[in-house]
Amino acid sequence: MRDRTTLILLGVVLALAGLAWNQGGSELAGAGLLHGLWTLLRLSPLLVAAFVIAGLIQVFLTQETVSRWLGAESGWRGILLACASGSLVPGGPFIYYPIAATLFRAGASLGVVVAFVSAKNLWPLVRLPLEFALLGPRLTLIRLALTLFAPPLLGFLAQGLLGHLGDQIRERMGP
Amino acid sequence: MNLATLTMVVLAIALWTYARWRRDGSHWRGLLRGWSTLKSTFHILVLAFIIVGYATVLIPDSGLQEWIGPDSGWSGIFVALGMGTFFPGGPYVVLPLISTLNSLGIGLGATIALINGWAGLSLLHAAWEIRYLGWRFTAVRWTLMLIFMLVIGFLAQTIFEGNL
Repeated sequence: MRDRTTLILLGVVLALAGLAWNQGGSELAGAGLLHGLWTLLRLSPLLVAAFVIAGLIQVFLTQETVSRWLGAESGWRGILLACASGSLVPGGPFIYYPIAATLFRAGASLGVVVAFVSAKNLWPLVRLPLEFALLGPRLTLIRLALTLFAPPLLGFLAQGLLGHLGDQIRERMGP
Repeated sequence: MNLATLTMVVLAIALWTYARWRRDGSHWRGLLRGWSTLKSTFHILVLAFIIVGYATVLIPDSGLQEWIGPDSGWSGIFVALGMGTFFPGGPYVVLPLISTLNSLGIGLGATIALINGWAGLSLLHAAWEIRYLGWRFTAVRWTLMLIFMLVIGFLAQTIFEGNL
């Protein structure tokens, strides 16, 4: 999977370099390459700090710790805990979707699971240092401020409007 | 050293000091985990930043402004959200690209919509969501998320840039 990503990115780089060469010769092709490498070099202290922070957070928090926190909480307390857990749980979709499915099967409400998945997508603690480093503090803070209430509100809305369908959705979610 | 770098370095030192204070070896394990992630993604970062460099010199400002510029209104936010759902790859690839598009002058609402589209409504993640939670759950979460992300893009443009 990782090799495929590298190959695709390499293909895009070669295509863009060819396009730049076609439009402006070696000068434009060189300018694009240098601009990219210079941006990476300029951001490298920030990136190193971001990777150190992300590494330490992952050591402090394990999936087991986060899953234990969620437990069998329900109602508004369950939704808020689900948001906190979703933000803290480490790992990609192959880790957090199985956790969400386990919680749902174990009896967690629709709102709790919607809040958990939405918080993981919108507020992942491990991604924040990278967002801060790569997008800058202004953009990161504006996005966080505006999405702060989204996961709990999504959870409350899902529960309030469609909570009565929770059992039906759970029964038909497949193996 | 700018404020963002200083904040991140101070935070990294504070977390490392806390890890050392725990006396359970987590300060070394954390550094090793960070180093291992950096090592395994470094080539992706280099390629992503070269793409960013080419995007900066190749993308014509006028086309971007028309589609997702600050004056593109609701349609710009909608287009950006749609583009975000198609963005492949992890944060190492996508975030530098979005940062470049933002520096090329796309609207703040569109930038936030791009990030939220990629983070909250990724088509790649939808495949996992359907597989584990079923299409009914995915349909409920996506419908609510889509409405919220449009409103958030609108709020970003209105509150922080004063126009839509």
